[in-house]
Order: sequence, then C-alpha cells, then structure tokens
Amino acid sequence: MGTCWQISRVCPALVLAIVAIWGSNVEAADPVVQFITDVEPIFRKHCYRCHGEVQDKAGLRLSRRAAAFGVADSDEPVIIAGKPEQSLLIKRITDAEAGELMPPDGEPLSKQEIAILRRWIKSGANWPDSVAVAKHWAYQPVVRPALPKVDNERWANNPIDRFVLKKLQERGIKPSRETDRVHWIRRVSLALTGLPPTLQEIDAFLEDRTETAYEKVVDRLLASKRFGEKWAIGWLDLARYADSNGFQADQIRDSWAYRDWVINALNRDMPFDQFVIEQLAGDLLPNASFEQKVATGFHRTVTCNVEAGVHPEENRTNQIFDRVNTTGTVFLGTSLECAQCHDHKYDPFDQKDYYRLFAYFNNTPLEVKDTGGGVTWDFYGPKMELPLPPEKQKQRDILSRELAVLKEEKQKAEKENGKSYRKWLEKISSGEPRGQWQVLSVHNFSSTGNEEFEILEDGSILVTGPVPGKTVYEILARSKLKNITAIKVEALTHEKLPGNGPGRGDKERTNFILNELSIHLQQADRRSPVKISRAIADFSQKKWDVSGAIDGNPQTGWAIAPHYHQPHWAIFALSDPLDMQESSQLMLRLDQNYGHGRTIGRLRISAYSGDAEIPVLPDEIRKLAVKRERTKEEEKKLREFHRKQNRKLIELNNKITEIRDKLKKTEPPTTLVMVEMEKPRETHILSRGNYLSPLEKVTPGVPALFDTGNDQYPPNRLGLANWLVSDHNPLLTRVTVNRWWAELFGRGIVRTLEDFGSQGEVPTHPELLDWLASELRENGWSMKKIIKTIVLSQTYRQSSQFTNESEKDPENKWYSRGPRFRLTAELIRDNALAISGLLSDKMGGPPVMPYQPGGIWRSIGRNQPKWITAQNEDRFRRGVYIIWKRDAPYPSLVSFDAPDRTACVVNRSKTNTPLQALTLLNDPAYSEMAVGLAIRMLSEPRDKTDRGRIIYGFRLCLSREPKTDEIDILLDLLKQERAAIRKNPQLVKERVKIVLPGFPMKIGAPQETAVWFAISNALLNLDETITQ
Amino acid sequence: MRDSDMLTCLQMTRRYLLQKSGYGLGACALSTLFQQDCSAVGKGNPLAVRKPHFPARAKSVIYIHLVGAPSHLDLFDFKPELQKRNGELCPDEFFVGKKLAFIRKQPTLLGTPKDPRYEYKKCGQSGIEISNLLPNLQKVADEMCVIKTVTTEQFNHAPAQLHLLTGFGRFGRPSIGSWATYGLGSENQNLPGFVVLITGNVAGAGSSAWGSGFIPSVYQGVEFRSQGDPVLFLSNPKGVSVESRRRIIDSVNRLNQVEYADVADPEIETRINQYEMAYRMQTSVPELMDIESETKQTHELYGTLPGKPSFANNCLLARRLVERGVRFVQLFDSGWDMHSGVFKSLPKKCEQVDRPIAALLKDLKQRGLLDETLVVWSSEFGRTPMAQGTNGMDKVLTVGRDHHKEGFALWMAGGGVKGGHVHGKTDELGYAPVENRVDTHDLNATIMHLLGMDHERLTFKYQGRQYRLTDIFGNVIQEVLS
Repeated sequence: MGTCWQISRVCPALVLAIVAIWGSNVEAADPVVQFITDVEPIFRKHCYRCHGEVQDKAGLRLSRRAAAFGVADSDEPVIIAGKPEQSLLIKRITDAEAGELMPPDGEPLSKQEIAILRRWIKSGANWPDSVAVAKHWAYQPVVRPALPKVDNERWANNPIDRFVLKKLQERGIKPSRETDRVHWIRRVSLALTGLPPTLQEIDAFLEDRTETAYEKVVDRLLASKRFGEKWAIGWLDLARYADSNGFQADQIRDSWAYRDWVINALNRDMPFDQFVIEQLAGDLLPNASFEQKVATGFHRTVTCNVEAGVHPEENRTNQIFDRVNTTGTVFLGTSLECAQCHDHKYDPFDQKDYYRLFAYFNNTPLEVKDTGGGVTWDFYGPKMELPLPPEKQKQRDILSRELAVLKEEKQKAEKENGKSYRKWLEKISSGEPRGQWQVLSVHNFSSTGNEEFEILEDGSILVTGPVPGKTVYEILARSKLKNITAIKVEALTHEKLPGNGPGRGDKERTNFILNELSIHLQQADRRSPVKISRAIADFSQKKWDVSGAIDGNPQTGWAIAPHYHQPHWAIFALSDPLDMQESSQLMLRLDQNYGHGRTIGRLRISAYSGDAEIPVLPDEIRKLAVKRERTKEEEKKLREFHRKQNRKLIELNNKITEIRDKLKKTEPPTTLVMVEMEKPRETHILSRGNYLSPLEKVTPGVPALFDTGNDQYPPNRLGLANWLVSDHNPLLTRVTVNRWWAELFGRGIVRTLEDFGSQGEVPTHPELLDWLASELRENGWSMKKIIKTIVLSQTYRQSSQFTNESEKDPENKWYSRGPRFRLTAELIRDNALAISGLLSDKMGGPPVMPYQPGGIWRSIGRNQPKWITAQNEDRFRRGVYIIWKRDAPYPSLVSFDAPDRTACVVNRSKTNTPLQALTLLNDPAYSEMAVGLAIRMLSEPRDKTDRGRIIYGFRLCLSREPKTDEIDILLDLLKQERAAIRKNPQLVKERVKIVLPGFPMKIGAPQETAVWFAISNALLNLDETITQ
Repeated sequence: MRDSDMLTCLQMTRRYLLQKSGYGLGACALSTLFQQDCSAVGKGNPLAVRKPHFPARAKSVIYIHLVGAPSHLDLFDFKPELQKRNGELCPDEFFVGKKLAFIRKQPTLLGTPKDPRYEYKKCGQSGIEISNLLPNLQKVADEMCVIKTVTTEQFNHAPAQLHLLTGFGRFGRPSIGSWATYGLGSENQNLPGFVVLITGNVAGAGSSAWGSGFIPSVYQGVEFRSQGDPVLFLSNPKGVSVESRRRIIDSVNRLNQVEYADVADPEIETRINQYEMAYRMQTSVPELMDIESETKQTHELYGTLPGKPSFANNCLLARRLVERGVRFVQLFDSGWDMHSGVFKSLPKKCEQVDRPIAALLKDLKQRGLLDETLVVWSSEFGRTPMAQGTNGMDKVLTVGRDHHKEGFALWMAGGGVKGGHVHGKTDELGYAPVENRVDTHDLNATIMHLLGMDHERLTFKYQGRQYRLTDIFGNVIQEVLS
C-alpha cells in the first residue's frame, strides 16, 4: 500500500517542476550554488530535526561536515563530491526504491531544492572548512536596505514598488494594469475600515481629479473611527480575547474595556512600541494611568478552568504557559511551546530560555478562588473598576454616604444593645410570672372557599363542607384582655378531618400551608393594621419556616410536613402592645393559597397579655437563660439571640441590606488587569512541563540568543517589554509589518506569519521586509504611516484580474496582481449591515447579542448565561462587539472561520464551504438585512424603474456599475419573483414578517418589498459582495 | 445554471488547475494537501476522498463519548476483591500524594453492590464480563473488544476531554474527527465529513471537542441538531419556496460566472460549487434526519421514536450517516458524572444507552457495515474505586465515585478490532493497570491505524512543527487488531 503514498509524493513535485521554470531564484539569477546561503538552509529545514545536533538518527549528523562526507549505517557514502546520483543523500530524497522517502514526517523537498542539492554536489560539494553557519536570517539585525534600481521608474512611485518591481523583473513578469478607481476605493475602504465605500464617497472620488485624490481617500479612512474596529479583529485573535472563561464552567466575565482600549489605541495611532509596552506591563509603568492598566488585559484574556475539582496551581501554571507561548508567537514570531518540555529541536531556544521567560510572568496572583471546600472554584484574579457616567456615579455617592451613616448608627445601636443584655437576661431568667393566654371568642368567620364551619366548645373553629384548592379565612374576634402582646394560632386535629388533620386536603399527607397571616384592630369605625415583629412555631417544615407567614411574600409560608396527624401551634409577637377597649375587635386574615386543599381544618386563636418576649422564646434559649454556668458557645448563642431581637438593629439591618442591594445594582463594570504580587515567586524549570516536578531555579531573562545589553532591563515584565521593542530584538518589527502586509495583501512577505524560525518560509522580499521594519522604527512606530505607504503604492493599485501573465505567478507570491480575497467573518456581517442600511456606529461597551438560533448556548456548569437577542440597535452593531463565549462562539462567524479564541491565532483559515452559503442564504440575521436592502432599493434611487433600482442595489453591494448581462440576470429573477408573488400573495406577509422585533426601518410597500427581497438576497450572496 | 454555461466555466478553469491556491486554505495546508492526494489536485476540494497510508480496516468511525465519565468499575471491570473490602479505608498509596478532584480525606473502598441488579455476567462465547445494568450489550459481547487499562493525564473534565479528543490537555489542537477527515476526506460530498450529535448539555470542552484547531476549519465537526434546523440555517426563510430558492441560487451562480469570466479567480468557481452543494444539502440532510422511513423492526430494535430527540435517535442517525459515507460521527451524551448517587443514577443512564448501542452494533452487522465501521465507547477518564461521600449500608443510593485517571475501561467494536476480546488487566482493586497499560495516545494511534493511517505520518505543519494527533506519543495496540 506504500505505493500509493509514494505516487502521491511524486505528484506535487510534478506540479512544482512547472513552477520551478519561473520560480527558481537560483536557476534564473544566480547559477553558483553556495553552501551557506543555498544548501545549509535546506538541510536546516528538512533534515536537522532528525539528523542534526539534537538527534542523530541512523547515526547521521548532516550538520557536521565529516559526517556528511562519511558513510551511513548502510556503509554507503552520504555525499560524493561531483556525483550526485551516487550520493545516498540524493537517493534518499528522490528514490523511494532506496528506502522510505526522506523526510518521512513532513513535506518533501521541492524539485527546486533537490535541483540545488544536485548542482551543489555536482559542482564539487564545496563545504568551507570554517563554516560558522550563518545566523538564521530572522535573528540578524534589521538593516535598512538601499532602494533597488529598476527599469520602470515611472511605475515605481513609492519605495515598496521598487522592491516588488525588481523581483518581478528578475522573473520576467509584468505587473498588472492599474485597477479602475471604483475597484481601488472599494478595496482600500474594506481594507482600512472593513466597510464598503458609500455611493457619495465613490462619486466624490471619481470627480476628484486632483493629484492628491488617492491620498485624501486614504487619509479620510485612516482617520475614521471604523479603522480601529476593523484592525482590532486580528489583534484580538492574537490576544485570544473573549468574554468567557472557557472550559466547563464557561461563565461570562468582563474585560471588554480591554477590547475598547485596543480599538482606541489603533484609532489614535498609538506608537506601536508603546502599544506593546502598555499591554505587557502597563501596570508597572511609573505613575501608571488608568488606561495603561486596562491595557494589561492583554494577558488576562487567558482561559481559566473553574470546573469543580480543578487544582488552582495547575490552572495557574497552564495560564503562564499560555502567556509565554502567546508572547513568543505575537512578538517574536516564534513558537516556544516545545521548550516547555525540552530544548527546541530546530530553533536556538532551550528549556532554560523558556523558563526564564516564564519567570517574568510568574508573579501574578491565582485567578481562581475557593468558594466551596476546596473543590468549588470561581473565576477571580485582579480586576479594576471602570468609571461610571457622572449621573450614576452621583447616585452611587449618595448611596455610599447613606450607607456610612447607617453603619455608624448601627454601631451605636449595637453598643446600646450590649448594655441591655444583662437586664434582658435577668428578666427572662428571673422566672417573672408568665402572662396569660386566653382563647378569643369568635364573633364571625368567613372564607372564600365556600366552606362551612362550627365553633366547638373549646373555642376552636372546625372547618367542614367543600374542600377548596385555595382559601382565605377571615375571623372577627373579641378578647377580654386589656393589653395584648402576642397572638397564637393553633392548627388542631379532629376526627372529622381526613387523617385527623390538621390539614384538609389529604388523609395521608395532612399538611396545610399558611402563606400569610395579617391582623387588624377594629375600633369603632377605624381599622388599623397590627404589626407583627416575630413568629415562632412548635415545628416548621424545611424551607417552610413560620417566618414566611409574616414576610408579605405570598409564595412563602408555614407548613408542617412530615409531622402529620398532630396539633401544631405558631405564636406571633406584636411589635407594639394592643390597647384593647370594650368595643375593640381583632380581625385575622389567613391566606392559604398553595392549592390542593392544603388548608387548616380546625383552628383556635388565643391572645396573650404580658411581656411578648416570653412566649416567643424558644425552649433552647429559655433553658440557657436559667443555666447557672454557660459555656462560651452557649453565652454566644444567648447574646446572638438577644441581638437579633433588637428592633432598632433589625430595622437598621434591613435598611443597610436595601442600600447594599441598590449599590450592587449600580456597581461599576470592571475589567481584568495584571497585578504584580509584592513578593515574587521563585521560578524553576519544570520537568516535562509538569508543575509538580520543579528542577533548577531560574531568574527572569530574555533568550540567550539575544543576550545583548540584557542587563539594562529590569528583571520584570516592564523590562521584558522594553527589550522586546528595543533594537536588540530584530523580530518584533519584522513580524509586525509582515502581519500588516498580510492583512492588506492576503499573504505575508514571510508566508508563515506565525513562524519566523528555521522551519518557517523564507521571505519572498527580504529587503522589502527590512525596509518596512526600519520604516516602522524610524517613523515614530506609526502603524498608520506604514499602512498609508503600502496602500498608496502602485503594487497595491494593480488590478486583481487573473491574466495570462498570472500563470507565471499563480499564488501572487511576487505581487504581479492586486490583492483579492474573501472578507473575514466579522467583516462579512459588517459589510452586509452597511449595505442594508442597518449598521449601527455605536462604539464600545459591554458585548452585544445579535440574533442567533436557539439552543446554541447549553453548557454544563454553574451560572450559565442566557442569550437574549437585542431588540435595539445593539442587534446591528459591528462584529467586533459580539459576545464571544468560548465554548459556543457566534455561529455565523464560526462558519466563516472565526476561531473560538481559546488560544492565540495568527492567521485564520479562509475556507469556502456550503455552510457559508447556507448562512448567507438563510440566517434570519441576513434575511433581515435583505429586507433592509430591499427597502433601500425601493426608496432611495432617483431612477425609479426596475433597472434603476437594480443598478442602485448593485452599486451598494459591489460599488461598481453592473454590466448589461448582470442587469438582465437580475431583471429575469425579478420578473419570475413578481409572478410567483402574484400567484401566491401569502408570500408577501411571510417575507415582510422575516424582520425581528425592533426592526428600525419602515416597510412602505409590502408587496414590492417582498419581490425585491429576492433581489437583495441574491445580491448579498454574490462572491464579489463578500470579497475585498 | 445551464450545463453549457457550466462547461465553459470549467474549460476556462482548466488553465488554472495546476495553480489552484488550495481552496484558499491556510498557507501550510496547501502543500500538505497536495502531497496527500493527486486526485484532489484540480478538484481543489479539501474533502475529496484521499487514499490512506495503507489498506484501511475501517472506513468510518462512530465514536460515542459518555460525557462526565461512567463508572467503568460497575460496568466493564468487575472487582470481587473491591466488593469484599467495601467500606475499608483505601490503601495509603491510593491517596497519599495523589491529586484527586474532589476527595480530600482518605476515602474508603467502594465495591459494586452485591445485588442481582448490579451483578456481572459472563457473556457470549468469549465470556466477557459485563454488568447486568447493560443487558442488551451483554448479548453483543462477542463483538466487543474491551480495553481495561486506559490511562490519561488529566483529571478535570474539560482538560481531559481535550486530552483524549485532541491529544493535548489545553485548547488549540485539532480534534480526532477533524484529523480523520483531513487525512481521508469524505465519501459523501452532499454531507459534511465529520458530524456531531449531542444529547444533553455540551461537554465542558465546548466546540473545541470537535474543532479543527490550527488545521483548516473545513475539517471541524458540524453539529446536526435535534431541534430546529438540523444543520444551522438549512431551511429557507418563511416566504421563500423551494422554487424561489432555486431561482435565487441560479441567479447568484450566473452572476458569479460573469464575475469569473472577468476575474478568473478559481475561488469563484469553488463558490459556485458550494452553492450547488448547499442546495443539495437542503434535501439530503432532511432526508437523512427523517427516521420515520425506517422499518418498525428497526425502531423496535433501537427504541426510537421519530420526532422525539433521544440518544437512541442519534444512534440510528449514526448508522444512517455512515451508510451514506460520512467519515466520522461523534455522539456525545452527558449526565455520567456521578459524584454522588452513583448506584442510583447509573441504572437510569445505562437504560438510556444500552439498548440503542447494542441495536447499533446488531444493525450495522446485519447490513454488513460493522466490518468497515469502527464503534468506540469512550469517556474522558474513569471513576475511582474509592467512595466519594459517606459509604455504608444505608448509603448505597447516595455514595459516589470521584474522577479517576490511573486506569479505566472502554471498548471498541467492528472495523478491524478483535470481537470478544479483553485487553489489559487492572489490579484486584481496580486502581491501576498491572498488565498492558494503554494511554489515550495509544488509543488514538490505534483508531488512526484502523482507518489506514500512520499516526506519525498524518501531520500538519504549524509554527514550524509537524503536529500530529498523538503529540509525540502513541503506539498502536497491536493486540486488539483482528
């Protein structure tokens, strides 16, 4: 079966052979093969990982001259100078018969590379004795190159063009023609702001025939607030910014202020060195500003596992691994991850280098907090409050002051209460004569459930007759007591009740639920409510405490399961003694609204005269009070009970709770920040990256490879950041301008944006890369200046059409055409929103929830958030503001290759799938946009003919005017849809109803809107609509 | 679109066939794809069928993941000694210096209750021991290959799910299903190559459990949902009829062709094809999801009720998917994390999955599909032989088991594995392997092997490294291969 695999290996070589005709630098321009520049890089890329200094598989080290000219295990000579076909080296990379084709674990050598090796051996395999193998290109200092001379000075109107043109001319490729103005303004608008140009902007540009017309457009776009919103997307992918923790308890957390910081920094064109320093170490800057601290959210975006049973130290170690790896990828274009466990196999970073970087990040506190016995954890870690709008802040200040006053009062009340303790204790323990209970004489009983009743001899009421679900009893009664301080309600058993009661609903489960008890005093014509301060019962069911009967909440109440079939009582202490006169009557109301006849079958009401505290004293307290000697615990219990009786304290506590609730509701939002612990942790190399196996101790430091001027930087994050932006680090500027270039051209000068190491691709235009890198450093680190230079180049102004010339540059590696690629996920949506006229320009703030189908968010774990589709302009805000929940990101973005932001992503893939087609065709969010576009086509154009409307809609989507056949295709569709709708008018209603609540546009002509919906739907689905 | 138009379009394309920039995939993907498949060159389709490294034993995989981790000691790895010593404090070496997720005090040993309901039975000719909680699986024991000695590195759910399914306990790597689809493509171009079916909550690792990490996102799993549109945005908006949809897609494609004639970017041609496929999916997916067409016997076998989402429905759908050439079908079922009440909850969960999984094996077999379909029962880890919570006579219904990474049992059946076979042995208390220890990388290497791929050669270059599913580990478990 190996055969098939081998055939498939040959195949790409064939493809590349064709490419090689024009693709080879060496063959076309430089016939002399040099070991250092041509051969050694091939070894490094393909061979050293198994046959180098780290490993010598089959006893071969191609990194050493003697070995390379010696014999292999098979006794065959590896390289025979002058005889490529007899050299084992060539056999093993070309001839599968000679054994498994090398390299077995990666892409094969290109035809071009093989040709270089052949020619090198043929020409004598010159391997200089004293090869100090050159430092890998990316680690060499950036040197500003001189501008190359080119033939066509007129074309090369900008330094970039000279570098590009030189390479094109070397390959005999002609650059493409200049694209027309409409295509250019569309390209540059989408590239800089992620939004299409408006028709007015297009027309203005077409009319502007001044020399600076192009520059004016670029300046306008760079100054637009939309610029930061577009360019933030790629940076937030690097920063793996999201709005949730990730992992099992994927709860939402606030760090959107960091996202806004990025957008603002980009809009302000913050110097890029400062941009780096503030994100890595803003908190450590002298007199760090509020904004500088927000910036450190960059490394607080890391995922955090708070699932029950997690081990926080492991979690913390993983977070630091992520910080180190991300730092390596973003600022050094280098994957450091391998060095977590062992020395890097291909690049000059060892394990010690890794843990010295680790040490910089090892001094921040734990980010999970124990909230349940060492197994339940919550996301924690340093946060910072954000400023509130002045109105809200004022309100908060008032509340805070009120709270302070109340707290003071409470302190006083506590003191007084402490003083009264002894007296109280004496009173309740002195055996002061207990007051009198007296059964009330019932004057009238009424109920809402049509029950019947009889008064028994003992003064109790027996309820009979129909058993209602719910009921309310009202009892009017008199007492001979002059002074009443408490009321007792007894729920008694009786043989006439099912299961003997006391409840009426069930003979097995004879429960009742008294939801509310209220008392009024009737004196002459005046009826006044009687305040109840406290309740106690002989027994309360779990979660159905008797206090629920006096809390004003009809959902709570007093019940007695499972103590069925026996009498129960509850005593209610009155806040103030009732002064009873001859004519006074008590009116009691008992709400029993649980249903299923859970109502009291026999009840008796008594009144008490005397100190109200006595009857409501729990037995336990009564017993403790009379005890001669009490333990500390018992004494504490008594004091606590006493304290809880203090009415003033109760009132104050209630008020304090109320204000605290209000304060909580107006709490300022927060954002996650980095904070250094006072005492730094010790860092050790971790064996195999295991946090439980520390080895040698290390101190913070940059990789030894760059060990130049290391001492001038303090051993903390700020020192690291300062080193990263210094010219001791040749990678930062190169890696950065390369990413910007790729964002504009769809591919990097170094194609592997994420890897500038020896395994990455070499730059196609090394001088151009270094020129851009030095421009960045020398021009105040201005990102906008670099971007402006690039987009004003002739290179960027080329047409993107494929031509015969394109066959020489199929991948547009040499920039013989203008860029053309699909928009990224967020921009596809932003673009459609802009076209439909629905786009909101509201910036910043908490993330938004546009429409998504139900059932997307359904993770395991506590406190899961709910998706609530916005009913206002938040539904139409730009993609950068959509909430990013890591375990279920916004589905229509995912279809278009948005990552889940669980880890740093440098380069999103750009796929082309049927799910994307389904999204644009059918996602209700896009349908709503299609309705918006239909309304625009019907209401906005001056030319109100079908043709005029089509041209207008077409221009909104593609910026250009349609060709006749394009108009005809759409007119055709229009005709058929009109006929279909005429035949089935029901469709009108359905299509118009596609919009969701809160749709901001007015649908004027439903029938025509329904017809034009089809045209909009088609236009929004065009390849050109979603292409830049 | 008229055929003649399409033809012109294809002729125009021929010029660019060799130059195709790999479907717009990430930079590194291109060369890797080219290497793997000559036939895909020119088609530019990343899901085109690619030949395996060597003859495959299984064409498709149905991978059933029991989220939360079932108590393997009460299902597939019977421990009479543990039963005997139930209630004793566990040996020190089970606890001292060990990291456990929840247990904080030295726990007692917890045996399977001595109750006929929980007893084990020797099943089939092979005599594999399976718990009475799984009466239907007992009947297909001779198809099953039980591996009793799987170990993992992670003891929290989400990291352990990532570790098992992506080969690495943190985020960012491609999942096993996406590796399989990346390596082999898909046999059915009207359906995604990697389909995910979920009952209950989504696993803690979220969509990363079926994500594509750094390989192109065409290889990520596509969830077929049991409620609403089975595939997101599959159905037309209200008011858009099938005819209307066809007309709109025709117009879109005609306009795209005009653009293609002008610009000649091969991506446009791909987009035209994708719109056609989207249209076909609007028919093929509902047809697939409509299980009503199955016979009464089949419904009885699985215990399925059309229109009522269930794990059983997903098992039946899994068969329908592999029948149609879908490469990798992954079922997730949540609710197996039994820290308390393990003996109360386990029977209930077993009842939900036992019959449909057994039915799936039988059904695949009678259709001649079992030979080419690998069925896997897995979980992110196992459960401790020690009790979590109080153990004792009256606590049978409340006691639970904690997460256990030192050794647990799972099984495979079908495509290329030995039926009626047990691999590996744990100690008498079921704590750790004593014979034939296997780790999750070995398991993944074996699954890839059965699909005809060498796990060390199925690589993707990213950040200068040839990444693979098995990280730098993994050995094919030769003993389980038939």
